[in-house]
Amino acid sequence: MSERLITSADVPALLAGAEFFSTSAAGEGIDFAGVWLGDILDHAGPVRLVAAGDLDPGTVCAAVGAMGSTTAMAELPPSGDEPAVLASALAGRCGPLGAVLPLNAASVNALFPVAAAALLELPLIDCDGMGRVFPLIHQTTFELAGLPLAPMAAVSAGFDALLLETGSARAERLARVVAQSAGGWLLCALYPTRVGRLAGAAIPGSVSRVLEVGRVLLAHAPGRPAGAGPVTLAGGRWQGDAAVAPHERLLAGLAAVTGASVLGGGRLVEVGPSVRQAAALFPGNPVGLAVHDHDSGRLIRIEAHNELILALSDGSLAAAVPDLVCLLDRGTLRMTGPGRLTAGDQVDVLVVPAAPLWHTIPGLALGGPGAFGFPLRHPKEAAG
Amino acid sequence: MSSVRPPRVAEQLTVDELVRYGPLGRAQMLVGEDLTRRVSRVALVSELDQIRSHGPGTVVVLSGALGHGAWMVESALRLAWERSASCLVSPAETGPTPATAQLAARMRLPVFAVGEDTSAYALELAAAVASPEAARARLAARCAELFAERSSARGILGVINGEVPGVSAALLLPDGHVLAGQAAAARAEHQVRVEVPGPDGRRWADLVAGLAAPPAPTWAESVRLILRLARAPLTTSVARERVNAVYGAEQARTALTALLARPGRGAAAEPVLDLPGWRTEGRHVAVFLRTDPALEGAGLSPGVVSAWQEVLPDLPLAPWRDGWASWWTEPEVEPGQVAAALRRHLARMRVPVPLSAGVGRAADGGEGLRASLEQAVLAAGATVRLGHGEVRTFDELGYRALLGTLGQAELAAAARLVLAGLLAAPDGPVLVVTLAAVLDCGGSTGRAAARLGLHRNTVLGRVERIRGRGVDFDHPDQRLALHLACYALLPELAGGQTGGQTGGQAGRE
Repeated sequence: MSERLITSADVPALLAGAEFFSTSAAGEGIDFAGVWLGDILDHAGPVRLVAAGDLDPGTVCAAVGAMGSTTAMAELPPSGDEPAVLASALAGRCGPLGAVLPLNAASVNALFPVAAAALLELPLIDCDGMGRVFPLIHQTTFELAGLPLAPMAAVSAGFDALLLETGSARAERLARVVAQSAGGWLLCALYPTRVGRLAGAAIPGSVSRVLEVGRVLLAHAPGRPAGAGPVTLAGGRWQGDAAVAPHERLLAGLAAVTGASVLGGGRLVEVGPSVRQAAALFPGNPVGLAVHDHDSGRLIRIEAHNELILALSDGSLAAAVPDLVCLLDRGTLRMTGPGRLTAGDQVDVLVVPAAPLWHTIPGLALGGPGAFGFPLRHPKEAAG
Repeated sequence: MSSVRPPRVAEQLTVDELVRYGPLGRAQMLVGEDLTRRVSRVALVSELDQIRSHGPGTVVVLSGALGHGAWMVESALRLAWERSASCLVSPAETGPTPATAQLAARMRLPVFAVGEDTSAYALELAAAVASPEAARARLAARCAELFAERSSARGILGVINGEVPGVSAALLLPDGHVLAGQAAAARAEHQVRVEVPGPDGRRWADLVAGLAAPPAPTWAESVRLILRLARAPLTTSVARERVNAVYGAEQARTALTALLARPGRGAAAEPVLDLPGWRTEGRHVAVFLRTDPALEGAGLSPGVVSAWQEVLPDLPLAPWRDGWASWWTEPEVEPGQVAAALRRHLARMRVPVPLSAGVGRAADGGEGLRASLEQAVLAAGATVRLGHGEVRTFDELGYRALLGTLGQAELAAAARLVLAGLLAAPDGPVLVVTLAAVLDCGGSTGRAAARLGLHRNTVLGRVERIRGRGVDFDHPDQRLALHLACYALLPELAGGQTGGQTGGQAGRE
């Protein structure tokens, strides 16, 4: 039995973890959602976080996630009534919802499903369909497993409700147009299915992982006493070791809970728009970054398109989507991204391996570098 | 993708050569590390993986279709480096950044960015690589074409300095003086040098190309070929400049003669002078240059005029009488300033003969110019005896300026006759110098001693010996003639007399 409760006390950790898994770009400006979620949890009570296996396999569930601009969400925040609209819209097609799960436990979408579960008084299944942020709503492990995206319910800040019955790729296109017209964002419930079908189609433990990473980040936030290691390092590996820089302690902590590796770190020598011709489907502008690795002298080049998509080390592909490439600001010990960086900043580049589902051939086809318009083979693919 | 079969190893061009006279010269060199890599082929790649199939010595040209930004260039760079490519050429718009350049420098792989269509560029590169001789010949042909369009030595040197990358060229006289081009060439450690004949066919100067590094033999040969191509146009330009100088000098002489042939007329009646730099209105200070009368003046004019133009290109210089006339025209100009400036310029001028100059008074208008020039001529008559680089103003010389007009040769011959008795003495020259000083000082032996730097008794002794030779300088009707005779002899005594410095100083005062 792995049931846990998520209370308002967990919100800071959830927020910090959500920022981490946003792969350094989409996590920007999501603090508003933390405040909003804290209020909901205080009023509606804690949310039960359960493993899929703990529920009746026949329980109807749906993935919840927002699409659109986080800036628009911050300006026109959700009221709290949206999940009810989604639930009633789907109920007509699939029957009453018995549980919700995050579409992707990262960025704001790590918080909205918790709010939805609290408001609908449903358990939250500890899994998701991305394990990170992807720009398109059908770039999911659900898709890989053959779960249909539709029927998809969506609601805007203005309570425009929508029930889409179409294929995955068309759903993305149509919903994005609606999102733009309806205020910049939509809250969606999609991939409605039975809990029993989540096995092998979802990434288990996603929400727990977000919380865990969030706690590590909070434990190392500036102002905390030096050496206050994360829970996973209870043995006190870094305890009292003043020679170890704070960012190194944090990196060790993050590596311990996520399996991340540090690609390198040093001064950001270049940040600016990339001339890459982006696929029209993807929103946002391509950005290029270059980090000069202090220790080895290598040049780490990162291409970003909202999320950090790939990292080259001295021109050699070192990491790429679907694995997470994240940037840690050594100064603030927070995750950071191109929008918050200027040349001269000191950053560390982390690579977090994606869920094994993503490293399959169909997984790399849907979420690998090729899906983002990069004519490159993913390092795992190349090695294979 | 296009590739070219490698030519024979001995004929392979290096990246360096492709930069110097191949299409790479047009590209922006982002990283110039290790340019000595040999080039065996050119590969135009439109997919990164294609680079994997090329071996060492390849010039990897990224197709414009590969427009994916800095990451793509860096990926290509890495692959090219792994395969020992010669260099990487990227479309400029694809965006190699300073960080890319840093990476390339770390890998010591040359990287270039081109703003044109890389497909056509790759073809051109391939053609150059396939035929090194053709590439060299093309550069030489281009230079030859440009040489033919340039008429001055400066222009011809400019072609070499502009068209032949990595080379600084200069035209040097045998004594090392830089006639044109970049002085750095003369100091370069690695040089290619050819002799340039003058219009008479004999060695006149050296054309020197300075190279930053020891050149490959083929490259040195190419540079030598270009220098040899420049020789004939240079000789022609020299001949043309000499003809121009003679023609210009004659024009100036005529114009000046016309101007000065009308003393007493108003400015309105003066002939119009439209030669470059000639101004007759305003305030003038005239200058007259002279050389040793023993040297023939007219034949020297081209050399003097061109030397003058080199340091004072804005001022006229006209051959006139037995020297060369010029003038400064400025509202505030003073003879002292002109004399000082002229001293500096005479020191810098590379003239074929020793020159000295006289400077006239400042005066206004054409009439003033005439007067000033006459004064300058008088002053120059005095300075010519003083040696190269001497400049005196008319006011500085005072009445002595008059003496400069005396026919030096005739007067000296006569002086040797009338003072034969004195000169016959064992210390004759010393006595003549002493006599001149005593006469200069109005007969005061004390002042003469001070002037000569001697004890008064020494002077008194010499005066006794002078009188003993029958020279009586107390007679008023003899004194002027004696004084003139001494002055006539002083220059030659100053040159060779044993009286040492005293005589020399007397002669120069």
